Amino acid sequence: MDFRWDLIWRSLPLLLQGAWLTIQLTSISVFFGILVGTIAGMLRLSKGPMRYLAGAYVDFIRGTPLLVQIFIIYYGFPALIQNPVPPYVAAIIALSLNCGAYVAEIVRSGIQSIEKGQTEAALSLGLTPNKAMRYIILPQAFRRIIPPLGNEFIALLKDSSLVSVIALEELVRRAQVIIGRTFRPFELWLAVALIFLVMTFTISRLVNYVERRLKVGD
Amino acid sequence: MVTIQNLHKKFKNLHVLKGITTSIEKGEVVVVIGPSGSGKSTFLRCLNFLEQPTGGEIYFDGVLIDPAKNILQVRQEMGMVFQRFNLFPHIKVIDNITLAPKTVRNLSADEARARALALLDKVGLADKANSYPDQLSGGQQQRVAIARALAMRPKMMLFDEPTSALDPEMIGEVLDVMKDLAKEGMTMAVVTHEMGFAREVGDRVLFLDEGLLLEENTPSELFSNPQHARTREFLSKVL
Repeated sequence: MDFRWDLIWRSLPLLLQGAWLTIQLTSISVFFGILVGTIAGMLRLSKGPMRYLAGAYVDFIRGTPLLVQIFIIYYGFPALIQNPVPPYVAAIIALSLNCGAYVAEIVRSGIQSIEKGQTEAALSLGLTPNKAMRYIILPQAFRRIIPPLGNEFIALLKDSSLVSVIALEELVRRAQVIIGRTFRPFELWLAVALIFLVMTFTISRLVNYVERRLKVGD
Repeated sequence: MVTIQNLHKKFKNLHVLKGITTSIEKGEVVVVIGPSGSGKSTFLRCLNFLEQPTGGEIYFDGVLIDPAKNILQVRQEMGMVFQRFNLFPHIKVIDNITLAPKTVRNLSADEARARALALLDKVGLADKANSYPDQLSGGQQQRVAIARALAMRPKMMLFDEPTSALDPEMIGEVLDVMKDLAKEGMTMAVVTHEMGFAREVGDRVLFLDEGLLLEENTPSELFSNPQHARTREFLSKVL
């Protein structure tokens, strides 16, 4: 049994380039995911008909595999509009929409976890329901949803490996290509796992830090 | 200042208020008492429409309160203090007090701050401006809550069992602030179990039982000479 350390070292630059793309895709998608998710989460709590649309969106995303969602965006949608969608764009759309649905649930439960007395106090001072939401409820909910949001960030980072199926040269895809050349799956997949571990560990430390910084007054 | 006509409130099958008619005059301190479940808190919460009445009318300064039209203005003029304080835990004491004047009344930051500091001084907490609510005792939090409501310069104050969640040794400091407020001529509606406060500060006491206003009178009359059997029974338990 031989273990080729040198292969890991030599592959590292290529793998790290892939990891960089993984980080880019995930960060951009989390950003849009939080945007979409906050809106969808608040819509789910609203009184209008939009709440059903938001509910359907969340149910659809959570009830179908991310892989299928990626295929719909990359293969299905372009066929419909007779126009190709670049893999990078398709990946970000798919990951953002996926992330948004989970964030919507996090935001919804975060808002619902703030006691009713807070809204009542704000309203009793003459604030409109919108201002009560903006100044009183959301800032408190935001603090509470940092930890689950961090978990979602980590989950998305790992799930982003699925976009390797649309030939995006992120970390997993890079490894596949190198393995195709070298026939050394063990070393490469181990290296990939370790790189993922470093990334997720860093994020969870970062989230812990932010959480502690925001802890005041809650 | 407030006229209440045939006020009803139903929660699904539960008829909490069964037609209450009374009024609160300018400068008057009205104390609402009654057994638990009598509807006294619901009555108070209907005045600023935190509970939507299911029947009847409420007039504030002669104008019918209509949640679709003027509820925001009415609430700006009707401060409220809650049993559980409901301070905003994520911002400092000073910001709790300046938030509504700044965002609702469009006061400048300096003006709002000056007003807040004066009010904190008035409730004896000038040194707590930069604390967070959870760093204060219950009595201190409730005094901040009173200052927060007063910062809007309301015409009237509602108190919903303001001392019921407090440790006994902190009740006095909150009642003292309320007494001062009454002396200054603030119109007040107070739901409380503090009969001493009702007797000493109240101009009129309303006795609610099972959603009905059974009796209203001056404190001395109501306490010494209750007309209803239910009132006598209640008073015999709490006095």
